[in-house]
Amino acid sequence: MVEALKLLNLTWNPLKNNFIHAFRRTPRTLLIRASSSSTTSSGRNRRNSPSSSTTSTSDRESIRAMRLKKVEELRSKGHNPYAYEWNKTHSANQLQDIYKDLGNGEETNSENDHVSIAGRIIARRAFGKLAFLTLRDDSGTIQLYCEKERLDDQFEQLKAYVDIGDILGARGTIKRTEKGELSVCVLSFAILTKSLLPLPDKYHGLTDIDIRYRQRYVDMIANPEVADVFRKRAKVVSEIRRTMDSLGFVEVETPVLQGEAGGAEARPFVTYHNSLGRDLYLRIATELHLKRMLVGGFEKVYEIGRIFRNEGISTRHNPEFTTIEMYEAYSDYQSMMNLAEEIVTQCALAVHGKLTVDYQGVEICLERPWRRETMHNLVKEISGIDFDELGNDLEVAKQATLSTLGKNLDNKDKASIEACQSAGHLLNEVFEIYVEPKLIQPTFVLDYPIEISPLAKPHRRSTGLTERFELFICGRELGNAFSELTDPIDQRGRLENQIRQHEKKKAALSTNGDKKEGIENEDDSYDVTLDEDFLTALEYGMPPASGMGLGIDRLVMLLTNSPSIRDVIAFPVLKVQQ
Amino acid sequence: MEQPPSDPPVTAPAASETISKNALKREQKKREREEEKRKKDEEKARRAAEMRSAQENRPAAADEEDMDPTQYLENRLKYLSTEKEEGRNPYPHKFSATMTIKQYIKEYEGLSDGQHLDDVSVSLTGKIMHKRSSGAKLVFYDLHDDGFKVQVMADASKSDLNEAGFDKVHSNVKRGDIVGITGFPGKSRKGELSIFPKTFVVLSHCLHMMPRQKSAAAAAADNAWLPGKTRNPEAYTLKDQETRYRLRHLDLMLNTEVREIFRTRSKIISYVRSFLDKLDFLEVETPMMNMIAGGAAARPFVTHHNDLNMRLFMRIAPELYLKKLVVGGLNRVYEIGKQFRNEGIDLTHNPEFTTCEFYMAYKDYYDLMEITENMLSGMVYELTKGSYKIKYHADGLDKDPIEIDFTPPFRRIDMIEGLEEMAGLSIPKDLTSAEANQYLRDACLKYEIKCPPPETTARLLDKLVGHFLEETCVNPTFIINHPEIMSPLAKWHRTKPGLTERFELFINKHELANAYTELNDPVVQRQRFADQLKDRQSGDDEAMALDETFCTALEYGLPPTAGWGLGIDRLTMLLTDSQNIKEVLLFPAMKPQDVVSQLNHLQV
Repeated sequence: MVEALKLLNLTWNPLKNNFIHAFRRTPRTLLIRASSSSTTSSGRNRRNSPSSSTTSTSDRESIRAMRLKKVEELRSKGHNPYAYEWNKTHSANQLQDIYKDLGNGEETNSENDHVSIAGRIIARRAFGKLAFLTLRDDSGTIQLYCEKERLDDQFEQLKAYVDIGDILGARGTIKRTEKGELSVCVLSFAILTKSLLPLPDKYHGLTDIDIRYRQRYVDMIANPEVADVFRKRAKVVSEIRRTMDSLGFVEVETPVLQGEAGGAEARPFVTYHNSLGRDLYLRIATELHLKRMLVGGFEKVYEIGRIFRNEGISTRHNPEFTTIEMYEAYSDYQSMMNLAEEIVTQCALAVHGKLTVDYQGVEICLERPWRRETMHNLVKEISGIDFDELGNDLEVAKQATLSTLGKNLDNKDKASIEACQSAGHLLNEVFEIYVEPKLIQPTFVLDYPIEISPLAKPHRRSTGLTERFELFICGRELGNAFSELTDPIDQRGRLENQIRQHEKKKAALSTNGDKKEGIENEDDSYDVTLDEDFLTALEYGMPPASGMGLGIDRLVMLLTNSPSIRDVIAFPVLKVQQ
Repeated sequence: MEQPPSDPPVTAPAASETISKNALKREQKKREREEEKRKKDEEKARRAAEMRSAQENRPAAADEEDMDPTQYLENRLKYLSTEKEEGRNPYPHKFSATMTIKQYIKEYEGLSDGQHLDDVSVSLTGKIMHKRSSGAKLVFYDLHDDGFKVQVMADASKSDLNEAGFDKVHSNVKRGDIVGITGFPGKSRKGELSIFPKTFVVLSHCLHMMPRQKSAAAAAADNAWLPGKTRNPEAYTLKDQETRYRLRHLDLMLNTEVREIFRTRSKIISYVRSFLDKLDFLEVETPMMNMIAGGAAARPFVTHHNDLNMRLFMRIAPELYLKKLVVGGLNRVYEIGKQFRNEGIDLTHNPEFTTCEFYMAYKDYYDLMEITENMLSGMVYELTKGSYKIKYHADGLDKDPIEIDFTPPFRRIDMIEGLEEMAGLSIPKDLTSAEANQYLRDACLKYEIKCPPPETTARLLDKLVGHFLEETCVNPTFIINHPEIMSPLAKWHRTKPGLTERFELFINKHELANAYTELNDPVVQRQRFADQLKDRQSGDDEAMALDETFCTALEYGLPPTAGWGLGIDRLTMLLTDSQNIKEVLLFPAMKPQDVVSQLNHLQV
């Protein structure tokens, strides 16, 4: 295989040198071609990469035209360049495995060794009477050893019509070449799908990050390990589901389109339903509907699903992302900590088979139990500020905070500390700025201030706190859980208070709307509404319960060592191309 | 608690004349004693019955039952605020049950009548669904949990509380409250399994008056409903559809069978998932928000991303993304998830609904028909616990249910041939011609089949097929080989010009699944999109939009692939004897309505 790859650039295609350039610079060439009837912007001169000095759109177009001509020729000769099916007997990896002991230069051609495979041609070398193709399928790669002697007329067809990128089905026997490459000695083949566009070069590869995300399938063709991330993602989700099911949880589906977007504080997407004649929001959490299920008598429920937040995009944020939320009646947040450990360790074992994982050069140890510490103690330990001692005087606390941390804070941090409305907000602010990034190994942060936890039950011992935890790994929040607030009166008060605070921020925003500050805070300009139906449901009585949300994308990032959320979402949202 | 009726008095033997006088006297006395006992027992039973009805109708209780809902709520709120003022937390953080009611029944069912296990301690949780007092010192409750029920016999003498404390706790327990009980197991003399509480904690309070549950609905889950059996929502405690769908929590509380609908839904999805996993499929997630709503023909929801200042559509199908992943080398992928269509709401349509789509490289639509047969027949067999047949009220609850038979293989009807045969037509072969269009218009006129404009050939055919073929598809039936003009993403048929390799699965006259050998020739695909554009321009706003990025993906080469989509909601409807899609959605889309009117509704 390696030999074939090395020779990739030596194939007889006269346009070879332009393949890569053509691809990397103008992947959207076709947009130009089709844009006569639409307003789609063209892909020209998108980027000032060094290689863009030559125009290669025409090269790519000429490859396409040449291949289209091949399509026509194949048809005229009675071949269908877009076949209907192919019966595979083996995958490439199965063959590599079955024949691993076959010696160099050995060939087997008994009845059992007649195999049939299919996949994409990723490398090709052709000589007078011999051609080597490298075929890749979903499992791996294998070489096709094509001799004129065995293929007869088909050999010329191969030379004339098979290009890199085509999907081929081949039948033949097994041979290991003198150089040690396991090969299928092809007796017959069929072009199953003729590709029209050139693939990116294996070595120079698909380095353009933007194209990698925009044309994920090309990324996957060029970098097979990309597909592994999605295989692992599927495994993680399946393992979570298996764990939940084995504990007796029932999976349910609650609405994405809602009259009120509740259960979290975030700017929602708004849409309009024509026949109902009303605005609907895309859910920002599944919480409030799952709690209704507990009221209805389900005792263990979960939902794995998409959540939508109308916020900026970053390496950690995509407007739509996947979470699992779970609720269990008669339990409290202590049991959710155990469940979090159980789920994450099961997933790690399913993906890695061990509990130490490497994340961007840092070794993360997932061995249970994980550290459990209160927010107060962590802030004290890491920042040196003891909020228990500072008491309730907000101004004193702010001054103490600024004098202790002042030199480590930038102006934005200082401003947000100044803006804190209560001691609870201040504690949380210090935690977020100063402590969060330092929580690398798995840590449960316990007992959040009541002001920032509108859906959590008051702590059974500490006034002003709630029975809530967040799980941090690698400085990132992975989970959020609480003993659920079941008192409908308290709940109403807290949600109304949340709305009041939000309105206050919004009002402040509109008064100094044209100041720079205002623009930064633009996020607060949406409406927060009260989900009356949820409060009514609580009035029917919800059993004591705990609930937890886990970010599946972030968990997959951790377990696949991916630095960006875009690496674990097959088709992330990207800016419109200019 | 009820006294068993006493045995009838023993009648004297027929040969009484041979019995001595003394014996006769003894016999008489005995009879008198027995008569007296019987009378006494009867009197006791009558008194007990009176007492019971008095309990239920005693002034206070009657007041509460007749109370206006607002007043009831206020009373409850007052009670809670008093509790809080006095420093008690009416919403405890946790209660650990030692077993579920189901386990409890299994464990202690075997006790003999009147037997108590005073030295055993058990903790149970559940919801109070019925309460009746026998004086201040004895209160009976029905405790429900997960469809199972046990009697609670709260006896002041067995409680850890003193009499005043006991009275205070129990006078404030209302129907609908969630409680935690620690006590010992036993059976009443009548033989009813009960728990005798030592401690009794209300864990959460029901602040609204709960409709009384019908005794039939309270039956234990033993003879529970199974998928494939019929249901009768008319007999539910809470019947009103609006209320059931709007206040689903109440529906679930009162109509125990409803929970089984959603369990069944969950099982259907699990079955599909494990079926595909066994075939080495990979479950993936593709975007729900797209720049172009492709993969189907439907009106999409529009939304806006503020930060990126970008208009986005909610997906109407995941098809195009999933095929891109097959181009990328994932040979077998599937996605189970929500789709969104901005359409009217009716018995079979909700703006968001759940589908499963899968794509399988190197297979064609023949393979998928077989897979469909295996999946659905296997699922029905497993869920019904051993039958391929289900009962379904196809013609409404007042008519007899029909039987739907999932035994494979399913019937196959060739669409055009079948239509020609059934309707006695001879449709021009070139379906793109004006001649074909005119012919089909005439056919619709002849059979008085309405086709609202635009009368495109595709739409005319669809109406005719609906009338002549779909109507015959009660048992699972594949309608196959649709014309190209109706199937912009399906591959042309390998032997029949103008047609595609496509099938739709119909059950009970409704489309359940749609599949085809995928069109993977980018040139032809572009042409088909262009044809759709023509239909669009002629006014068919359900014609499919061109997705250029998808066509580009095809140019990189999509292997021969077969793709398949199934409507999960409709399948769940069939297996749960539901005639309305809202029955199988936890929180269906409803018109806005204010809460007060909902609550008033409950009173009736």
